[in-house]
Amino acid sequence: MTMLFDKIFAHSTRIIAITVLLVVAAIFTILFQESLLSIQSNGFAFLSDTKWAPNLEKFGALPSIMGSIISTFLAMILAIPVAIGVAIFLSEIAYERLKAPIGISIELLAAIPSVVYGMWGLFYFVPIVRDIFGGMGIGMLTAGIVLSIMILPFMAAVTRDAMNTTPDILKESAYALGATKWNVVKDVIIPYAKAGIIGSLILALGRAIGETMAVTFVMGNVHKISMDITQPATSIPVTLANEFTEADSDLYYSSLFELALILLVISFVIIAVAKSYFLRRTRRTS
Amino acid sequence: MATIINIPEAKAIQVNNLEFTYNGAPEPSLIDITMPIAKNSVTALIGPSGCGKTTLLRAFNRMHDLYPGHTYNKGEILFEGRNIIDPKEDLINLRIKIGMIFQKPTAFPMSIFDNVAYGLRLQGTKNKTELNDRVEKALKDAAIWKETADRLKDDANGLSGGQQQRLCIARAIAVEPDVLLFDEPTSALDPISTQGIERLVTELKEKMTIIIVTHNMQQAARVSDYTGFMYLGELIELGKTEEMFVTPKERLTNEYITGKFG
Amino acid sequence: MTETQKRVLISKIVMVLSTLSALIGLAFLFWILYVLVTNGIDAINWDIFLYEGAPPGYAESGLKQALIGQLILVGVASLIGVPLGVLGGTYLSEYGQRSRLAETIRDISDIMMSAPSIVIGAFVYAVVVTPMGHFSGWAGVIALTIIMVPIILRTTDDMLHLVPGTLREAAFALGAPKYKVIIQVVYRGAKAGVLTGILLGVARVGGETAPLLFTSFNDNFMSTDLMEPMASLTVTMFNYATSPYEDWQQLGWAAAFILSMFILALNIIGRLIIMKKGK
Repeated sequence: MTMLFDKIFAHSTRIIAITVLLVVAAIFTILFQESLLSIQSNGFAFLSDTKWAPNLEKFGALPSIMGSIISTFLAMILAIPVAIGVAIFLSEIAYERLKAPIGISIELLAAIPSVVYGMWGLFYFVPIVRDIFGGMGIGMLTAGIVLSIMILPFMAAVTRDAMNTTPDILKESAYALGATKWNVVKDVIIPYAKAGIIGSLILALGRAIGETMAVTFVMGNVHKISMDITQPATSIPVTLANEFTEADSDLYYSSLFELALILLVISFVIIAVAKSYFLRRTRRTS
Repeated sequence: MATIINIPEAKAIQVNNLEFTYNGAPEPSLIDITMPIAKNSVTALIGPSGCGKTTLLRAFNRMHDLYPGHTYNKGEILFEGRNIIDPKEDLINLRIKIGMIFQKPTAFPMSIFDNVAYGLRLQGTKNKTELNDRVEKALKDAAIWKETADRLKDDANGLSGGQQQRLCIARAIAVEPDVLLFDEPTSALDPISTQGIERLVTELKEKMTIIIVTHNMQQAARVSDYTGFMYLGELIELGKTEEMFVTPKERLTNEYITGKFG
Repeated sequence: MTETQKRVLISKIVMVLSTLSALIGLAFLFWILYVLVTNGIDAINWDIFLYEGAPPGYAESGLKQALIGQLILVGVASLIGVPLGVLGGTYLSEYGQRSRLAETIRDISDIMMSAPSIVIGAFVYAVVVTPMGHFSGWAGVIALTIIMVPIILRTTDDMLHLVPGTLREAAFALGAPKYKVIIQVVYRGAKAGVLTGILLGVARVGGETAPLLFTSFNDNFMSTDLMEPMASLTVTMFNYATSPYEDWQQLGWAAAFILSMFILALNIIGRLIIMKKGK
C-alpha cells in the first residue's frame, strides 16, 4: 500500500514537471500552425513589407518589428546607465542604513503591474512629451521612455545582486593598495561580476521586448516607420493587443499569430542566451 | 598590567592607548593598546579568536573606515611622526605605504601581469619598461617568477591557491610599501605553500616592517622577532619571540601557549 | 595635480553621477507611486464595491464585476497552478535532481518566467477560445495558470533544495518511504520559502493584463460563470483608462490602486515570512 502510494506520488510529480515542457512545445506548435496561412500567403515579404492594411488583405510586419526593436533599444539606452548608477549607489555608496529600504522599495516597484506604468505614462508623461516635442505626445519616444522606467527597477535590482556577489575581501584588497571607490568598481567589481551584469541586462532586454501593457497605452498603434521618433508607431505586442479582437479574416488572424510567433522566438532566444550563457545556475551538488 | 618590553630597534609604528569599537557593539574590541612595532622586523599577533588581533591589524591601514560606524574612541597610532587615525589622514596614501595580505588569496579578475601592475598603475606609472621591470622584480621577490614568467598574460585565477597568495604578495610589494600587514595569510593554504609564504615573510623584513596575525603559535615562533599576545581586546604581553615562548611573563600568556585555552 | 589627486577627483565625480542617477531613477518611481496613491485615494469610495460598471455619466458606477472577476480568475488559476507548481518543483528537487530531464525543465521554466505573456494569450485563444467560439473565464484562468506554474515550480525547486540532505537521510534511516520523507520532512523544512514563492507567483499573475485581453476578455456586468467572458481589474483598467470619459478614467485609477496594493501586500507578506524564518 505504502509502496504503491510512493510510486503514485513519484510519477505524478514527474508527469506534472514534464507537462511544463509539453505546454511550451504546444505553444510553439500551435502558434506555428496558426501562422501557416500567413507564412504561405505572405511569404518572406511579411518580414520586409512596410504596408499593413487589413482591409486590403495586405500584411507587412516590418513596422511592428522595427517598432519593437527601436522602442526596446531606446528603453535600454536610457535604462542601462541609470540602472548601473542605481546598482553602484546601492552596493557601494549608500549608507548601510539606507541600502535595505531603498533596495526593497526598488524591488517592490518591480512588482507593480506594468499596466500601471502604462496608465501613468498616458496621463502624466504624454502631456510632457507633447509640450516639449509637439504632436500628440504618443509615439515611439514616449513608449521607449515609459518602457525604460518600467524595466528600471528590475534591471537595477538584478544588476545590484550581480555586483553584490563580489567578495568583500577582494574589494578590500584593492582598497589596501590605495584604490579609490571608482577604481574598485571599475577594476574589481565590474570585471568580477561581468557575466552576471551582462546577463541581467540581456534578461531585462528580453523582458522589455515582450512587454505589452507599458507601451500599448502610449505607442499609438500606427503601422508606419517614421524617422521621427516623436511620431505614433507600433510594435509587435502593441499590434497584438490592439488588433487581436478585431481581426475579421483568416489571413488577418494568421498574420497576427505569425507576429506572436516572431515575438516568442525573439524573446525566447534572448532570454535563453542570458540564462544559459551568462547566468548559469551555480548549485551545490547534493 | 600588561608586560611590554622595550625594543632596541627603531620603531616603525607606535600605538598608544588605542581603543576601538565596532559599529553598534556595546563594548570596545580594542582596549588601551600600547605597543611598539620594530622597524625591519616581523611582529606576530597571537591570541584566541575574537581577541582583537585582526581588529588591531586592520586599524594600521584604516581598513575599518570602509564600513561606517566603527569608531576609534581614543589613543593614537604614530607612523612617520604623525597620528594616522586622525580623521584628516589621507587614507589612499596611507594604504600605499602600508600594504596588506588577506586570509584568502585575492587575485583580481585580470591577468597575472595586470594584478602585479595594478598598484603601480594606480600611482600613475605608465612607462612600459618601468612597469615590466618592477613587475618582474616583485614577482622575483615574491618567489613566484619562475612559475609565471611565461604566462604573465594568463588569468590570475588559473594559479593554485599558494601561487595566488604569493602573487598577492608580489602585488603588495610592487609598490614598495614601508609596512606589510599579513592577516592569517596561510589559513587557506596547504602545508607546502604555507612553508613558502613563511620563508618569504622572513626574507621580506630586510626591506620592510612586517606585522602578521596568526592563529598558529608555531607559525609565530617560526617567522617572528617579536610576538604580541592579545586576549579579550587587550594586549597582554609583547616580547621577543624566542623569550616569550619559553619564559612568558604573564600567567595568561603561559596558559595560552601551553594550550590551556583558545 | 598628482596622480592620486586625479584619481580621487574622478572617483568623486563618478560617485556623484551614480548618486544622481539613483536619485533620478527613484524620483521617477516615486512619482508613479505618488500618482497612483493620490489618484487612487481620490477615486475610491463605497460605490466601487457596490455597483457594476455603468455607461459613462451614470452616478452609480463601480468595479464590482471587475473585483469579483479578478478574484475568481486569480483564485481559480491559483487553485490549479499552485499544486501543479509545487508538485512539479518537488519532482525537480527530489526525484529528477541533476538529471538531463530535470535540468531541461529548469532551463525552459526559467525562460518561460520572462517570456512575453501576450503570446500565452494568443496561444490560449487558439486552443480554448476558438474551439469554444467565444471568450471565457476559463480561457483567462488557463492563460494565468500557464504563466504561474513555471514560477512556482522553480521557487519550490530552489527552496526544497535548501533543505539539508542530512535531514532527508535521517528520515530515510528511520525507514520512512520517500513520499513521507518529502511531505513530512522536506516540505516542513522548506515551508516558509515555498509559501513565499507561492505568494510571489500569485502576485505576479495578479497583475497580468496582456494574456487576459483576448481570453477572458471583459464584461461590464457581474458574472461568476467561467464559461462566459469575465471582467478583470487589469483589463477593465486598460479599457477605462483609454476611454475619453473622465468618470471611467477615475474608475481606472481606482482599479490600478486596488490592484497595486493587493500585489504589494502579497509581496510584503512574502518577504515577512522569509525574514521571520531567517531569524
